[in-house]
Amino acid sequence: MVRMPRDRHRPAGADAARFTTTHWSVVLEAGARSSADSQRALESLCAAYWSPLYAYVRRRVSDVHDAQDLTQAFFAELLQKNYVGSATPERGRFRAFLLTALKHFLSKQWDKAKAKKRGGGRPTIPLDFASADSRCPIEPAGGLTPEELYDRRWAQTLLDQVMARLERQFANDGKQVQFERLKLFIIGQHEGATYAEAAEALGTTAAAAKMAVHRMRRRYRRLLREEVSQTLVDPSDADDEIRDLFAAFSR
Amino acid sequence: MVDNRVCPKCGGELPQDAPAGICPPCLLKAGLGGSDASLPQRRADDENSSRPAFVPPTPEQLAPHFPHLEILELLGSGGMGAVYKARQPNLDRLVAIKVLPPEVGADASFSERFTREARALARLNHQNIVAVHEFGRADDLYYFVMEYVDGTSLRQLVDAGGLQPAEALSIVPQICDALQFAHDEGIVHRDVKPDNILLDGKGRVKVADFGLAKLLDRVPADVRLTATHQVIGTPHYMAPEQMQGSSEVDHRADIYSLGVVFYEMLTGQLPIGRFAPPSKKVEVDVRLDEVVLRSLHCEPDRRYQHISDVGSAVKSLDRPSDVPLPEEMQLGQSTLWFRAILLIMGTTIPLVWFVMWWADPAWPLLGFCLPLIFLGAATEDNGTPVVWTAAILCFLCLIGSIAVAVWQTEEAWALGALLPAFFAWCFGCAIGENEKKTRRRERARQERAARR
Repeated sequence: MVRMPRDRHRPAGADAARFTTTHWSVVLEAGARSSADSQRALESLCAAYWSPLYAYVRRRVSDVHDAQDLTQAFFAELLQKNYVGSATPERGRFRAFLLTALKHFLSKQWDKAKAKKRGGGRPTIPLDFASADSRCPIEPAGGLTPEELYDRRWAQTLLDQVMARLERQFANDGKQVQFERLKLFIIGQHEGATYAEAAEALGTTAAAAKMAVHRMRRRYRRLLREEVSQTLVDPSDADDEIRDLFAAFSR
Repeated sequence: MVDNRVCPKCGGELPQDAPAGICPPCLLKAGLGGSDASLPQRRADDENSSRPAFVPPTPEQLAPHFPHLEILELLGSGGMGAVYKARQPNLDRLVAIKVLPPEVGADASFSERFTREARALARLNHQNIVAVHEFGRADDLYYFVMEYVDGTSLRQLVDAGGLQPAEALSIVPQICDALQFAHDEGIVHRDVKPDNILLDGKGRVKVADFGLAKLLDRVPADVRLTATHQVIGTPHYMAPEQMQGSSEVDHRADIYSLGVVFYEMLTGQLPIGRFAPPSKKVEVDVRLDEVVLRSLHCEPDRRYQHISDVGSAVKSLDRPSDVPLPEEMQLGQSTLWFRAILLIMGTTIPLVWFVMWWADPAWPLLGFCLPLIFLGAATEDNGTPVVWTAAILCFLCLIGSIAVAVWQTEEAWALGALLPAFFAWCFGCAIGENEKKTRRRERARQERAARR
């Protein structure tokens, strides 16, 4: 059963360190009449999920600088022109919406051979291309289409944020070490390590370790759902969205 | 200690930037919680192989659909369907059956396109193309019956390593022959990759799966595993214009794919991002770089425009530079002597005349000798129809001289000798060029016919 986020319009101060403080529905509700809130919401979403988009553009455009220009230009246009206003079937999910908007943008750009404006004066979102390029190998391992790459990077970006939040919460409770030792068990038991070893390293019993992992996993699930819901209109779609992202890895 | 590159739980590859160092799909799965029954196990096998869009039936399950064939074994399956080895008892020969995924039939127009495509493929009768014997529909399965190739695929060869450059150079021209033949028939392969290039026991290349990419292109998206899958074909071998979904994809996309395959054969790696030319990675002729890089050009207009040109380029590299030139050049050697003689004659005869007889006017003689000088000095390119040119020249000069004799002026003498000589020379060059071209085309055609 999916946990509903506490409040659909979560106040900005709920978690001081979070940067995705907004909900895709805020953006959609504002629709064509974008308010300061919805604009901020859209900016936060874009700031969080620009990296899979960049990966997609890199995959389709061979030149790095062109790709960077295009990505920058796309976000500038997205924020200026408010594509959200137009009705499209992907509105329910930000991930699909963003990709469709990008594809339209790119096809317009192919037509306009040379036009790559950098967003013309209006401040754009700071995009750290250098770290993205160094972190993820844009060239896929093999057999991946740009869309698959996009979905995978989206999943990784999402999970990065969730794990970062989880780690911060544990750090706040002074349980950094526990997090480091037990995080591997979130995915379940496996050959890599046993509870006994981890317990020993932590100076506690195996049973206590298992309990700690159980609680950690619960917290992780809650955080994951919250993060995923940010990009959805209807939080009950969270399961489907997670399944879709999982499917991106099983191709 | 756990191997850093592989997830200990699912065995899949662990990306370098994995969140908190944990395998992303496993995290996602854990995030769903509850029973995992709804999620398929992640396949940790080789990511280079294309994923089947359906689970292929076993030979036993397939047998009832083909009562006139003996289904022996499943050879392999990919995104385009499954291939089985079978036997035709009446002809006592081995064949391969390719069965397409059942979902393709969901599209109403598929049946018509299938028939059209199959008929086009059946026209591809070439020794380097896998022949299509039969095609049709058995219950709800679309199938092709094809030539069975007892050998390996280029994919297996490349993956096993140890493919020598010399072997690559002998394989590529055969692929070019096959593809050029298909292009001449108006068929673009669209999915040239090592998996589709087979080699039989005699080292002969057989290209398979022609046109299937186009056939399966319009299968509705919801039939596939994911709605984001819009493009058919293996991304790495696809030309840029194909990947972008441009409508202007033509036969030159095959040239690009061949370039990728060629590069992979030589170096064992795919030409991705900024890649080094082949001669920098393995010991191959530097001249190959130009061939490969030109095939891989992003702009179709800048690539080779005909795949046979790639084949010729590769074949010409086969010859080391100090080998004697082919016959038409050898002909040049004997004409060299001939021309030397003409040159000598052309210069000595007037000299002798002047010295001995001091006769005047010497114009008609000059008119005769000058062409000889021209011929003698002609380059080997237009030295070929020497006999033709000489005959025309002499004839023209004779006429010129007669005309001059009629009018009896100095200028007339000069004009009557020089002009015809000059024009005849130009004419002779033109004939020479033409003949050279026709001869080259004839030779190529004979070569092709001889190899069939």
